[in-house]
Amino acid sequence: MSKFTDHLWRDLVNEHGPTLAQTNRPDPGRAGGRLLRRPRILAGSTLGLAGIGATLALVLGGTAATAPAFAVTRSDDGSVLVHLNYVKDLNLPQLNAKLHSMGLHEGVTIWMASGAASESGAVTCAPGAGATTPVRVLVGANGTETIAAGQSAGNTAEGSFHLVHCLVTGDDAAGNSGNTGAG
Amino acid sequence: MSIESKTLVRTTRSRPVAVSRSPRGGPPTSPLEEFEQVYVRNVDVLMGYFARRCREPQTVADLTSETFVRAVDGFAGFDPRRGSDRAWLFGIASRVFARHCERAAGGRDAVTRLGGHRLLDEDEIEELAERIDAERSGAALLRRCEQLPAVERAAIELVDLEGLTPKEAALALGVSRVAFRQRLSRARSRLRKGASEQ
Repeated sequence: MSKFTDHLWRDLVNEHGPTLAQTNRPDPGRAGGRLLRRPRILAGSTLGLAGIGATLALVLGGTAATAPAFAVTRSDDGSVLVHLNYVKDLNLPQLNAKLHSMGLHEGVTIWMASGAASESGAVTCAPGAGATTPVRVLVGANGTETIAAGQSAGNTAEGSFHLVHCLVTGDDAAGNSGNTGAG
Repeated sequence: MSIESKTLVRTTRSRPVAVSRSPRGGPPTSPLEEFEQVYVRNVDVLMGYFARRCREPQTVADLTSETFVRAVDGFAGFDPRRGSDRAWLFGIASRVFARHCERAAGGRDAVTRLGGHRLLDEDEIEELAERIDAERSGAALLRRCEQLPAVERAAIELVDLEGLTPKEAALALGVSRVAFRQRLSRARSRLRKGASEQ
């Protein structure tokens, strides 16, 4: 590298480093292809599962006999614990309403991977741009969600899954839109 | 402190001139580190792109800087699953250069209007002047391409000078791969024909 390119990088970091550090990037697991993303699983006001592809079809049927799909607990320190037993599209509007009624307007994106969690318990979401509320997400009873064969119609994934990464962002900052170029 | 902030502190404090060495080979752990890898992979190539078009070291520096500043602004929307970072950056660079030309043609000081860039010191001016000199053969090829339509000239440059694959170049120019291959084929054919007639 030349002196010019060294200086240019230094200037970019000094002037735009904070912007870059807060940038929401597409799925961080894309390189290895091991992570499965669930776009916008939770959001304060516009919850949805739009864009989920076949490989992400972890949606469960959630029969009447199963445990409640979600629970939201707010601690005295203002942090929020979202407990997901099942990610079921029909329940998401209810979860959305619950979060909204609690005054939460953040979007939370979670990334799942196959296999059991190496550590049990909730995962603390990384705070992205515009995030103001600390959020933790607990999947299943102890961090692992198990999907049985034929558990629900349309379910294409079977086995154990765990949450490997979680990002909380302000409503305006959540999501990404693919290549838009610049200029 | 957020994950991003910790990474930034580590980067700026321990590596104030991070490009003095290659970034580590593993996957990036933060957007800043990811962008650093994009920068290291492409800054030299982009500098060459502008060095073939401009004779002033300061202009080459400003346009290269402008390209990366715009890349920072658009980094959230860049998805490497849709195309390489090089193709993405060349798309930005071509727009930066087009704007520069429009302003220069309008009699305005394009460098001044881009604004905000620091002046180079003597060492940097010398470095960039050498780079401009080293790109003379590429610049000569570009001049030979001047009789080609702009889209064909761009096709030749991105593939034969910059080393992009046709797929990457098509993405950078915003055209389909089929259309791009046709343009590239036509451009090469015209160049061969032109050379044989001289």
